[in-house]
Amino acid sequence: MKKIVVALLLTIFAVTPALAGKKVINIASDCTWPPMEFVNKDKQIVGFSVDLMKACAAAAGYEVKIKNVAWDGIFAGLAAGKYDAICSSVTINEKRKKVMDFSEPYFEVQQSVVTAKDSNAKSLADFKGKNLGAQIGTTGYFAIKAVEGVTPKSYDEIGLAMEDLYNGRLAAVVCDDPIAADFALQQEEYAKKLKIAFVVKSDKAEYLGVAVTKGNTEVLDMINKGLSAVRADGTYDKIKAKWFGSN
Amino acid sequence: MTAKPIIEIKDVYKFFGDLAALSDVSLDIKQGEKVVIIGPSGSGKSTLLRSINRLEEINKGSIIVDGLDVHDKENDINTIRQELGMVFQSFNLFPHKTVLENLTMAPVRLKGMEKEEAKAIAVDLLKKVGIREKANVYPSKLSGGQQQRVAIARALAMNPKIMLFDEPTSALDPEMIGEVLDVMKNLAREGMTMVVVTHEMGFAREVSDRIVFMEDGRIIASAPPEEFFTKADHPRLKQFLDQIL
Amino acid sequence: MKKEKQVKIEVTDGASIPDSSDKGILNAWWVSFIGAVGIISYLVITKPDPYRDILLFIPDGIVVTFEVTICSIFGALIIGLFTGLGRISSNKVINLIASTYVEVVRGIPLLVQLFYIYYAMGRVLQVPDMLSAIIAMSVCYGAYMGEVFRAGIESIDDGQTEAARSVGFNKQETMFLVILPQAWRTILPPVGNEFIALLKDSSLVSILAVADILRRGREFAAESFQYFETYTMIALVYLLITLILSRAVSHMEERLNHYDR
Repeated sequence: MKKIVVALLLTIFAVTPALAGKKVINIASDCTWPPMEFVNKDKQIVGFSVDLMKACAAAAGYEVKIKNVAWDGIFAGLAAGKYDAICSSVTINEKRKKVMDFSEPYFEVQQSVVTAKDSNAKSLADFKGKNLGAQIGTTGYFAIKAVEGVTPKSYDEIGLAMEDLYNGRLAAVVCDDPIAADFALQQEEYAKKLKIAFVVKSDKAEYLGVAVTKGNTEVLDMINKGLSAVRADGTYDKIKAKWFGSN
Repeated sequence: MTAKPIIEIKDVYKFFGDLAALSDVSLDIKQGEKVVIIGPSGSGKSTLLRSINRLEEINKGSIIVDGLDVHDKENDINTIRQELGMVFQSFNLFPHKTVLENLTMAPVRLKGMEKEEAKAIAVDLLKKVGIREKANVYPSKLSGGQQQRVAIARALAMNPKIMLFDEPTSALDPEMIGEVLDVMKNLAREGMTMVVVTHEMGFAREVSDRIVFMEDGRIIASAPPEEFFTKADHPRLKQFLDQIL
Repeated sequence: MKKEKQVKIEVTDGASIPDSSDKGILNAWWVSFIGAVGIISYLVITKPDPYRDILLFIPDGIVVTFEVTICSIFGALIIGLFTGLGRISSNKVINLIASTYVEVVRGIPLLVQLFYIYYAMGRVLQVPDMLSAIIAMSVCYGAYMGEVFRAGIESIDDGQTEAARSVGFNKQETMFLVILPQAWRTILPPVGNEFIALLKDSSLVSILAVADILRRGREFAAESFQYFETYTMIALVYLLITLILSRAVSHMEERLNHYDR
């Protein structure tokens, strides 16, 4: 009964893809995560993963449509069938694997800690008694929640957390390293006051993957096919170089 | 009686837009004098009464009460008003206060009187107006006549030199008019200076030292009651008296 | 005594206050209340995973929601009182300031105001997040409260002012000793209503990383992916709170009429 209600409610908002010839994969992305996926000044959705998804599609013979979806509801939307996949710097972890399937990893990230320039903190434990911020439901948030003695604050968007850090309401913000670098080093205002202090030590490497609904092997195979193709022909490295430089 | 009048109204004009509510009104009232103001509705009698304690602003002329110009912004009107007790047609008791509190509020707040002292005075006043037993009820429990008697007591609680009455019995059921007039008559006997706007001709004849007849914002006649009723020579006054007597 | 003007101020965004004379609303109240309690109990007992877990996850969020709501309503009352007085002031400058404030605040969506005040205050002053949220809510609701105060004050007969002024009270004494204590009776029902509306709107502060009921729920959902279950519980908890509050407001209203009876 409950499932029917959910399905009914969500189909009202569902967007049915226009099918024309090639198979179209609808991909959701929370475009507040530069340089991985974000909206540029021309209101275009751009970023590393956007280029990657397009390259995969071209290599494997399908089309992608990328839709900007708020992070907070992005998994619920996938479960409700509003789109076929999520490519939004989603870290592959055990908990998520229970409710969705992941593609081959397409990027390795670390959790970076952004803090004020004058901070001497060397680990998250050094922030005892302070407020730490991260985006809701992200690896970064799970990391700060695991620290004893700090107050974890969850934000809808990483940008809002960065603003609160800049304004002094937070002692540090934790997020994927490319994003940390973009905010703390690329944004002129923030760069004056903020720095990336250190990386959260983890015994396991953290990888990003494209998420699909559990059991959706059709879409998963198409994406994996594309990923291996772009890795093989050097396109992947070109895209990486474009967004992160040659090193 | 002192020679100097306690209220001096001189050449007063008051306009509501183009309409002259008071025009060239002059009237002196001596200490202890009881003046009744009569006239048809819209004649300006209430406006005149209300301008004595500056509930109405005047446009021209002056009103001096006990040596102070009421309409001079230099003078503290709040202090002047403490000398002028006012009783309204619609009683205007404070409904959120008990009868006793209605009486003690102003003396305690404004005169810095001790609560107990104010209470004692209030109880005496309630005895005087004949409703001692209602001291602790809220005004909404009282009849109109009782409310008006409390209103008179409230005005007296500030120990004013002058009492102003604005049609005090007009909103009352006929059977209650007497009890209020009795209180006013007692007050008159005690020598209070009173200015009363009313239609009660019996009261005017019995109590007043002088009756003032107003029409169209002007004082048309002013005389002691004997003379006023017997020698009503002004045609408009005659017409008015014929209507109400 | 002239019949007192009894003005009922309608506010659209509160909850329906159960009035003992309105059988329909009263019955609806009981149905909703028993329904909400019943469903919560049923879910928690029969499916403790996840419903009991959700319920156990949000209590500190409820505390925060109440903190924000109660502090904001007091802030809004104070701002509202002065705004209301300003709106009826004969001083043109004060009047203009108060009116402009009301106009500006009413013209901006609450969510936008929250963002604006929160981040603007972050740039200018070092105000902690919770306080920023409370200030933002107070500023917004103060404008609405100002209108409630104005209407309440204007509902009191002019005769009361005249009577108070005649015994020698000045304007301020008249307002605070005579007019406001009476206006309070007209003002309280909409204030109670605004309180409930504010409690509901306080869910907006969850965007400011204030850990209220909604934020806690979203955090739970984001980790467990049980969106439907979480929001079912969140909705029921909000409903239960507003139902209890609306009942409390209605009791308060009835007791406030003591000098009429």
